[in-house]
Parts: sequence; structure tokens; C-alpha cells
Amino acid sequence: MTISKVLIANRGEIACRILRACREAGLATVAIYAKNDTGTIFTELADESFLLEGDSIASTYLDQSQILEIARISGADAIHPGFGFLSERADFAQAVIDAGIQWVGPSPEAISKMGDKMTARITMRDAGVPVIPGEEIEETEEQAALLAIQQASHRVGYPLLLKASSGGGGKGMRSVDDPSQLESAAIGARREAIAAFGDGRVYVERLLTGSKHVEIQVLADRHGRTIHLAERECSVQRRHQKVFEEAPCATITPEIREAMGQAAVAAAQAVNYEGAGTVEFLLAPNGEFFFLEMNTRIQVEHPVTEMVTGVDIVREQLRIAAGEPMSCPELSIRGHAIEVRLYAEDAQNNFLPAIGPLSIFKAPEGPGIRLDTGVRQGDEVTPNYDPMLAKLIVWAPNRTEALEKMRRALDEFVVLGCTTNIRFLRELCDQQEVIDGSTDTTTIDRIWPNGWNPSVTEQQKQSALVVAATAESLGLGKVKLQVSAEQNGPVSPFQIISRRFP
Amino acid sequence: MKYQFKGHDEPFSLSKEDMAELLTDGRLLVNNKIAHASKVGDTWWIHYDGHTFQFELVEPGSSATDDDSNLSAPMPGKVLEVQVEVGQMVDEGQTLMILEAMKMEHKIIASKAGKITSINFQAGDQVEQGNELLEIEEDE
Repeated sequence: MTISKVLIANRGEIACRILRACREAGLATVAIYAKNDTGTIFTELADESFLLEGDSIASTYLDQSQILEIARISGADAIHPGFGFLSERADFAQAVIDAGIQWVGPSPEAISKMGDKMTARITMRDAGVPVIPGEEIEETEEQAALLAIQQASHRVGYPLLLKASSGGGGKGMRSVDDPSQLESAAIGARREAIAAFGDGRVYVERLLTGSKHVEIQVLADRHGRTIHLAERECSVQRRHQKVFEEAPCATITPEIREAMGQAAVAAAQAVNYEGAGTVEFLLAPNGEFFFLEMNTRIQVEHPVTEMVTGVDIVREQLRIAAGEPMSCPELSIRGHAIEVRLYAEDAQNNFLPAIGPLSIFKAPEGPGIRLDTGVRQGDEVTPNYDPMLAKLIVWAPNRTEALEKMRRALDEFVVLGCTTNIRFLRELCDQQEVIDGSTDTTTIDRIWPNGWNPSVTEQQKQSALVVAATAESLGLGKVKLQVSAEQNGPVSPFQIISRRFP
Repeated sequence: MKYQFKGHDEPFSLSKEDMAELLTDGRLLVNNKIAHASKVGDTWWIHYDGHTFQFELVEPGSSATDDDSNLSAPMPGKVLEVQVEVGQMVDEGQTLMILEAMKMEHKIIASKAGKITSINFQAGDQVEQGNELLEIEEDE
């Protein structure tokens, strides 16, 4: 089955990424958007954009029947789910297939097997892939579940991790150091899991301290080829959410890469995988690695793999969905790539999400810099969706230079009107563990046990005050768009300052 | 020219010779470094030397320091749980309320020890950013 018109069942940054890949591949595109996304970039990148009726996420980006109806009306013959939302919903994949539309992703069977952490674990163990000690809690009723978690904790051992069975993105996840914290952590994890996924089941797992989070990108086509594109390291996490990702992993040996790559390929083959997927592992200091989970979709941090392997993963997804063989040559890794995730959040206040207008949004430029974003200057950051604003990716011939480039790029990045983690990311790049590549999943908590504060000097603060007072005295804050007509010189500064997009 | 910024005891006075230089594109030059400035509401957002600053202008003579006896909602969301009652004594750092925003839970923590004098929202209520959630009267 060939494909000619792709509906992207997503929004923001990843919708932009997929829409652009479709355009490059000569495929027509359909975007769907909720009312509060009106006028954002992705709605303009598509050939056609359809407004979703409804006010909540459940009645818009998660509304399967509405999305399928738009696919029918628009004549889309393929649906790309992106990540999040419906990307790992086997029932949606099945509904798409039943509607005679090509699903850009693995089979519903593969999604269910990997989506349920218990089934994934058993499948992996049977395929000879090492797994971490842990237990699924099947009880759904609150008291029974809490009791079962209590009992499981004795067998799994401390420190342990509670995570939502159908989870991701750090939601419904709690680390527990000793038994006294277990009950409140379990209540919180279950409640968050129910709110985010409609499924309160949790998984109790041993927390392997000092380990790196290393994951393998895999690709599989219908012509019998299943390959891996080597690893990404994503150890640096805050609140169990990745913020700094790189490829390759600084400390991996060719032997471990090969063993992990083979395990990932075995994992994919065990579920007859098709398309792009990621097999996540914990890599212990002694070189042992354990299967964490498989994400049956494109991943946020896929760009670092693209930069070092030269493979356009989204283009390959489209090729594979069209039934063509993938086009990747033999694996070769060139240079080093780092990605940081720009969040609208207050790093000084426990990474609390922030909102506000992007009154200035000026991204860095220059060789080796890639920006994947779904926002632009003038957009409003609202509490409706995930607070990730952009992914900043750099590539350089080696890791040291990549880190130098990332520092320079973050220094150039200006976002005003909404609090972001830019400065936090910039100072992260100066930490010895990051410079050495010896980061593990507890790095942030260890470096800043009492929270992070910027290392700002009194001189810098005074200069900034001078700028604020000067700007106020010159009336820069009052100037609106209309003044440009009378002005001499090139572009009016004030057009830029108060720029608004329809 | 004097400007009173929130959180500063003294007004900031700026002489003509200390002023930053306005560049043609609206950016400002100070100490040979280029700064970006943008005003949102009463707050000046400044990017200077890799750092971002917020300076909120307040009326000259008005209370310049933050009143931290109130605990306000850091962002719009829903109250999931209220863990204290009016009249209850609480310790600094104690969890008072749990909010949900952007699908994540956030704890509202007591900024000081004292007595809860009012609770303005109950579990299930929607709150706007800046809403005063509860009040603590400091221990004497």
C-alpha cells in the first residue's frame, strides 16, 4: 500500500517535525488542532487544517472518532500519531487500520505487548533480554492495591520506584527510599496515573542507583530488515523527565553497544516490530544492562541519533509505512550530538511549570545548530499542554566541542515574557559530571540537593537594573505597532517588541 | 529618574550618564554587552549576559517587600487535596495542599511555622494563578 496524504494526530513541535518530513517526501498533509492552538505554527505547515470540536484534551487530541472522521472527510490515507496523545494506544491503531487507513507505527499487537509493562517484561525475558527485579500490581481497588504494593515492596527491595503501568513522561512516578514513605507515594502515584492515563495500576521496581539511562533506536521494515541506530544517553533527568540527551553515550564501549544493540533488535523481533521504536535500558556501572521499556513510537530525543547517524528517522517511518524498504546504509557514527529540552518552567522553584506570553523568542543560530519547536515569538504559553517549548540540538566533531557549542547556543537563546529553564541548562553544561560524561539518573538531585539557583553576580544584576530603568525611562514598554510609519531607518525595533501573530 | 522595583528596599535611581545605549533594533547596550528588554504588564523582562531577570515596577513608596504570609497558587490548576484545617498549627515545610496543573501534582508547602487562619479552596476547586489558597499566622 502506498500512501499519499498523511494526517498528523498531534500538535506543536512534533507535528511540525512530521509535517515538514511529509512535505519533503512529497506527501500531502492534514493537521488537526484544538481551538486554543489556533494560529500556531503547525496549523500553517499543513496543506489542510481541521479544527477539533471540544474543550478538553479528551474531547480533542484524544477523541478517536472525531479524528477518524476528519481523516475520512479529508481523504487521508495514513495517520502519524507523533508521541504522547494516541501514539501508544493499540485500540486507536486498530481503529485506524479498520478504517482502511495506514497506521504509521507498529501493529496494535506490538503496541499492547510493549505498552503493558508486565507483558513487555515477560516477552523480553523470554527473548533473552535482561530485566530489572520488579512486580506488576494488578489490583485496581485502592485498599487492595496499597496492600499489594506493600507486599511487593518486600520482595523487590529498597530503594524502589513506583510507576504507572500505562505511563510515561514522569507522570504517576515516585521513588521511595524507605518503607515509611511508601503509602503516601503509592497514593500519589495512583492518583496521578488515574488522572493522566485513566488507569491506576502501578508497577513496583527496584531502583538501580548510579546507573545510566541508555536507549537504543531501532527500525524495522516489512522486507525482513530490523536494525539498530546505536544508543542515546538520557541520564540527566528532573522529576523523572529527561532534559539533556546525547549520542553517542560518552562512556559506552563498542562491546556494550553491540550487545545492547543486539538485545534491542531481539526485543523488536520478539513482537514482529515495524517502524521506529526505542528500547530503553539501565546501564549499571559494572557494564550490566537491564531492559526498562520499549517506546513504540517516535521519541522526543530522536534528533541526536539523526545528527550522528545521518538517518532521517521520520522519513524512514513514512517509507516503512508505505511498504518500501528502509533506506539506511550500514551503521556509522559521526561526531557527537547533544539535545536539551527547553521547558516553560521555574527551575528555581522545583521546576514548576510556567505560563506567559513569549514576548521575545530569539533562538541561536550558526553551523551545527538545530531547533525543533512549535512556538514562535508572540505565542502564549498556557497550562493546557506539556510545557516543552523547544528542543535545541547541536552537532560537533567531538563531545567537547559539542558541549562548547551548546554553551554558546544557550547564551544566545533569549526568551522573555515566560520563565524558562534556559539558564539551568546552561549551568548544567558547566557541571563536572556533564563535562566528564559520568552522569547518571540521579545527577541533578545530587548536584543540587536543595534546588538550583542561578550563579548570578551583583554586577550582572545591577547592569540588568540599568537596562530596565533605561527601557522604562525611554518608554520602550509603551510603544505599539503603529509608530513604524513615521520612523526612519530600517526595521522598527518596536514592531519586533510587540509583534503579534494572528 | 527613580524607579521602585518590587523586592528592592530603595528606589533605583538612574542618572543620564549611567543610562544604557539604545540600539537601532530596540536592544540596549550596557557595559559593552547587548541586552534585550520586554515589558509584560508592569514587569520588565531583561536578558543580559546569559541571564534573564524580572523587575516588577511598583508605585513609589508602596510596600517594597513580598508579603509571604499568604500562600498563593503558582499557576492555574485544580485543588486535589487539602491536608490541613483552620486553626491547625503547622511546621515550616509541611505540605498544606496538593494542586494539579499541567497533569502534574504540586505540593503547597508552609513557608513558615504558624497557625492556619483561613482556607480559601476545597478539593476539586479550580484555582487561578495568584489566588490566595490559605493563610498562616506566624507563631509568636
